[in-house]
Amino acid sequence: MRPAGHRRHWVRLDNASNIFLAAHSEVDTKVFRLGAELDHEVDPALLQEALEATLERFPLYRAVLRRGVFWYYLQESDLRPVVVPETEHPCAPIYQADRRTLLFRVVHHRRRVGLEVFHALSDGTGALWFLTALLDAYVRRRFPAADQPPPAPERPDPAPEEAVHTLTTDSFVQHFRRRTRRAGRAGAPRETDHEEFLREAAPAVLTVERAPAAPPGQAPHRPAPSPPGRSAPEPTGRDAAAPPRRVHRVRGTRTPDHRPRVLELSMPVAPVLALAREEGVAMSMYLTAVLFEALRRTGAGGRAAPTLAASVPVNLRQFFPSSSARNFFATLTVAHTYGAGDDALGAVARRLQEDFRAGAAPAALAQRVRRLLRLERAPLARIVPRPLKDLLLGQINRANNRGLTVALSNLGRVTLPEPAASHVGRMQFQVSAARPQFCAISHAGHLTITFTSPFVETDHVREFARLLTAEGVEVTLAASRTTEAELAAVGR
Amino acid sequence: MRRCPDCRLAVEGEWARCPLCTAPLTGESAPSPLPAVPLRFTRRRVLRVLTLTSLAVIGLSFLAQLLFDADRESIGALRSIWLGVVATWLVVLVAAGKRRNLAKFVVYLVALAGGVCVYWDYLTGWDAWSLTYVVPILCASSLVGLMITVRVIRMPVGDHVVYTGLTVLLGLTPLVFLALGWVGTAIPSALCGALSLVVLAALLTMRGGAVRHELATRLHL
Repeated sequence: MRPAGHRRHWVRLDNASNIFLAAHSEVDTKVFRLGAELDHEVDPALLQEALEATLERFPLYRAVLRRGVFWYYLQESDLRPVVVPETEHPCAPIYQADRRTLLFRVVHHRRRVGLEVFHALSDGTGALWFLTALLDAYVRRRFPAADQPPPAPERPDPAPEEAVHTLTTDSFVQHFRRRTRRAGRAGAPRETDHEEFLREAAPAVLTVERAPAAPPGQAPHRPAPSPPGRSAPEPTGRDAAAPPRRVHRVRGTRTPDHRPRVLELSMPVAPVLALAREEGVAMSMYLTAVLFEALRRTGAGGRAAPTLAASVPVNLRQFFPSSSARNFFATLTVAHTYGAGDDALGAVARRLQEDFRAGAAPAALAQRVRRLLRLERAPLARIVPRPLKDLLLGQINRANNRGLTVALSNLGRVTLPEPAASHVGRMQFQVSAARPQFCAISHAGHLTITFTSPFVETDHVREFARLLTAEGVEVTLAASRTTEAELAAVGR
Repeated sequence: MRRCPDCRLAVEGEWARCPLCTAPLTGESAPSPLPAVPLRFTRRRVLRVLTLTSLAVIGLSFLAQLLFDADRESIGALRSIWLGVVATWLVVLVAAGKRRNLAKFVVYLVALAGGVCVYWDYLTGWDAWSLTYVVPILCASSLVGLMITVRVIRMPVGDHVVYTGLTVLLGLTPLVFLALGWVGTAIPSALCGALSLVVLAALLTMRGGAVRHELATRLHL
């Protein structure tokens, strides 16, 4: 317990997170899940211990979400998370207004550990940092050995040294250096809890704004071969490639109790990578093209609306170094119109990649970040009461949804620290879905593509899987039981 | 692991047919890594519909009163029963909706119950009984009730300070009525106003920091 009279620290939600609150619903809960499959049945007691140790290092995850008159805000809390066996469907609602609950949960089932996060708290990359720390702490407890390497730093992917040197001196650099020093030296003075919460909870865009990290052209840029994005958000604005007017939208039968239809395809990553390389494109764009082809085969992209559009999130941390675990991404839309040129899978993938490259250039992204900040600081946007903001953002979100067929997100290749790496096999990544979508993640040579959809139909996944197996990829399917008929057939 | 000959993929879990194409599977089954979560239907939607219907009925009931004359003796008793029932129903709905935050409920209660009584008074020909007695008594007693409640349930200062402040502001309104000469007997309003001023003074001197902090948190632009 905190001393009497203690004032809880708080921090406002950034603009990007506000859209998740305006857009969350029973169907699209704005919850995403990251999971890992271990080589043994999970020990809940040790997992609980590991969770408590991890939470010490991620004060942001202690936050609860509250509603102010004009904005939402995150407030620190004393709540204690408890790991639970998985009894709810994936991506079940987490945030409920007026209930002060933590914004994440940790579940386990057989050999799997799952971390589910409400999107306003963190993005895929931020959550991956948390899961990495959790797995590291758990495996160390489960397999204690004398010759273990020292614990992994809090952020598994510190920016390369040269990236730091290109920054002019400012608080972000100091902030970054303090972090690396602290991670490297156990005896370094610890920040107080409150400083830590405030620092952790600083929105990513603000940490970047303090660092002139992105002079267009000389930002630490690598041309994103496979965008390690985060889970798919609703786009907050329009994209580099102006989306076509009418876009095909998938429709179907809703699942009986709003749970997402989850279909998990796992496969070795090497052959898929080889297929993408053969076409000269990044794996994300190759898989997007496969999905487009699958949708076309199931009757989409007909005469009525031959254009398919996909929203793809881009992790901004690769261009603008930030150690904030808060949301820090932009979404791009890539689209292809069938019947207006070369519709071969390879050609489509290359077109998508061109679209993506143009949008993911650091200059274009920097412009987006600046626009985001401008929007948030606009006097009018500030004084509008929060319920009205929710209404407006909800409408914007709905309008954006009309321009999308599918969404996809690729967290890329995950590198876990030892000894966790050798005890974790497949990893999973999925998000609640307002439309069909897939999330990809790879670890230890396994690529897992999880399809989620608000509809029970599985046609596009069937075609997607068949396109891959026809190329000789060894695909394994794990499906969650979703419909009444499927659940009635358990064990039969 | 079972296999689907049509899709040419392996299927984890005890599926008899391929979840993608419904073709019969071959081979031995392997346990599913995903749990079979039973269907769960929440009562939330039913409750939402019931709440909205109730609010509509209550709203229409209040509006319907305007159709009856103030001095019609025949409606008198019936009107009192009718308004009493819908007012109680409204309070129950608000209490259920705000059950997680008692301090917030008190503010809603004072505002709604006060408003209903003033309207009731207007409907019955305006004797100012609502402003003279009901509103001051309601404000003063809820202020006392709130003070007791936050102590009994040990509500943290930050969680109730804004609502206490709002209750105090509502408690000061009888003084305005008094100044404008809208009330018949001055004592209830004066007592309520005095109590509110005392609580306000105590709040600002003892909890001034918490008040400023909470206001800054909730009103931040």
